[in-house]
Amino acid sequence: MRTAALVLLALVAATAPACAQTAQEIIAASDKVRNPGEPFRSTNTLTEFIAGKPRDQNVLVVFSKEDPATHQFRNLVRYVAPARDQGKMVLLDGRVLWFYDPNSKASVRISPQQRLIGQAAIGDVLTVNLAVDYAGTLLGDETIQDASRKDRQCWHLDMKAANDQAVYNRVEYWVEHGTSYPVKAKFYSDSGRLLKILYYRGFEEQLGRIRPTEAVIIDAVDTSLVTTFKFGDFHAQDIPDAWFQRDYLPRLQPE
Amino acid sequence: MMARVGGMVLLVLVLGDAAALADENSDLDLIPDAATQPQPPAADASAAAAPNQRIYLENAFTGTARRGDLPVPFPPPKPSTWQERLFLDARKQWALGDRANVTFSDRFNLRAQDNIDFPGHENTINDFREGYVSWEALDRTYLDAGRINLKSGVAVGFNPTDFFRTRAVVDPLSVDPTVLREDRLGTLMGLGERIWQGGTLTVAAAPKVDNPTPVYRNTGLRSFDPSFDRTNAHDRFLVKTSADVAPDFAPELLVYHEVNRTSVGANLTESIGQKTVAYVEWAGGNRASLIDDALRYGRRTGTLPANAPSALPEDSSVHFQNQLSVGASYTTESKITFNLEYHFNQAGFSRRDWDNWFRIGGAPGAASSVPAQLWYVRSYAAEQQDPLTEHSLFLRADWVDAFIPRLELTGFINMDLYDGSSLVQVTADYYLSNAWTVGGLMIADVGGKRSDFGSLPQSTSVLLKLARYF
Repeated sequence: MRTAALVLLALVAATAPACAQTAQEIIAASDKVRNPGEPFRSTNTLTEFIAGKPRDQNVLVVFSKEDPATHQFRNLVRYVAPARDQGKMVLLDGRVLWFYDPNSKASVRISPQQRLIGQAAIGDVLTVNLAVDYAGTLLGDETIQDASRKDRQCWHLDMKAANDQAVYNRVEYWVEHGTSYPVKAKFYSDSGRLLKILYYRGFEEQLGRIRPTEAVIIDAVDTSLVTTFKFGDFHAQDIPDAWFQRDYLPRLQPE
Repeated sequence: MMARVGGMVLLVLVLGDAAALADENSDLDLIPDAATQPQPPAADASAAAAPNQRIYLENAFTGTARRGDLPVPFPPPKPSTWQERLFLDARKQWALGDRANVTFSDRFNLRAQDNIDFPGHENTINDFREGYVSWEALDRTYLDAGRINLKSGVAVGFNPTDFFRTRAVVDPLSVDPTVLREDRLGTLMGLGERIWQGGTLTVAAAPKVDNPTPVYRNTGLRSFDPSFDRTNAHDRFLVKTSADVAPDFAPELLVYHEVNRTSVGANLTESIGQKTVAYVEWAGGNRASLIDDALRYGRRTGTLPANAPSALPEDSSVHFQNQLSVGASYTTESKITFNLEYHFNQAGFSRRDWDNWFRIGGAPGAASSVPAQLWYVRSYAAEQQDPLTEHSLFLRADWVDAFIPRLELTGFINMDLYDGSSLVQVTADYYLSNAWTVGGLMIADVGGKRSDFGSLPQSTSVLLKLARYF
């Protein structure tokens, strides 16, 4: 009996550091790792693998700026490749989402769910402060392997959508102790179905601190589909608020 | 005993936890070797500077089945039963320094079909869609001049506020409203636009530079001609503004003037939950009925004799008439987006107009000019891109990664609510690679013999296409 009690005590003691930070603080610290604290532009290259073979590649330029009122990012996405999609644009500003096609010169308002469809799931390349859109619960401490199969001591968090702007209904999230590096995430649909598994990797210095510059997303519904993301060409840039008007979409120029 | 139970519980907990973590790490086995290699550098700064352009070459073959025994005889020539078309489609923008750019958009078609001579000028059709200069005179204040495709509206199937749509579409391959917008002629105009943090103001003025011409038929298209007769046959003015009146609500209001007709319009959208967007698009103004408009236009442009009596009862009264498109989009977790819309065109055919159209057109011994006049009214409405009928329902579905990755299925039904007849189109596009797309579509006019779509001379069309993007 005494032995069991001691083991329990040891387990509790092992999780004690986790209790020093709340789940929300852990998520917010991880947000600071992922997202620069100033308006910026990045170029994201998405490579899709089907049954292990590279297939399509999408290149997107993303302009991101935090809204001081909501502390959430506003995003403007421009398609660069493939050629058939070049020039298409998506505006994502809270609940206001517009898709612009320069071929038809038409702007169509889209629902948050439509962030997850199309040649590239826009929802996966957005700059998002997860701590704003999700309410987290700390499930415990776990050592899991990262994308390079290296053991990482992580907090394991369960995050539920806190507002209707959250891309996914529920997210499981692993954040490394000490560094607050995001390691892994699992995304779930409204119905509770596991949709995607994401691993962060390629930690490099970008815009003032070490950040993940790559991600691998496994489609959990069809596991033969895997997409790698390479985030690069980070530039701090002044982005006027007027850029987040839908009528600005046809005016956005290549830089 | 208690110690043993406690120990076993702990053992189960520890073993269970270890198994869960092993499962957690097994997710890594799903990553293929090729994706575990270091990724090539993300597209560099040149990607951000990539020009705004789309250039592609497409070959499309269309086969059409005709109906016989129409209730109202279709005037000659008969619609084609096949068409082969090869076209080069280009849209490109060039920067002129930091604050100006030039846009050019064009489609060059080579075509052959069974009811046009070969070789002949009808085999080469060039659609000069856009060519304009844009200058940012002040920060986010723009002045544009040239041929501009100015599009308005938030609905999908019918855009009452898209005032520059009339006569602008040339010989389309698809009747999907979203595709029709891709190949339409812009209007020669000067345009000023100011975009600020909470809204936009746009002012456009399009001068008359040509005279109105008869409604075009597929067999009488101009070869190399800017076709300003389609877009600039009158002086036209548009003012539109939108403002963020609430965090999620930015209505757009429009005022449009052409000749002595002024229309007003509005566009409203609202997001409802995660999956639904509701929208309303409305326009209204003083005008005559569609029948009266068509007949007056036909007499003015010489298609109909100036003093010929109308076969249909004519109502020349001008009064305020509405056009409305109200609907919603809904997106499922399985990547299907549905748009359901109700369309109202107050100036369109009422039930009585339809009864008259079939009764008069099908009367035994009617002069050939009578069905010709009746069909003219319908072709006029099509060229104006107005719904012919007063009440219709539109349902469109777009399924990305349908059944297999890279297959996109699109379909729509446009139903006349008076008689239940429908225009149905199903399209399949398969993205063979980033450069190549293969696809096909089928169009069917479904309905009883004496119905809107059932009375058309074409019953079904099938198109096969191959496109190469550059």
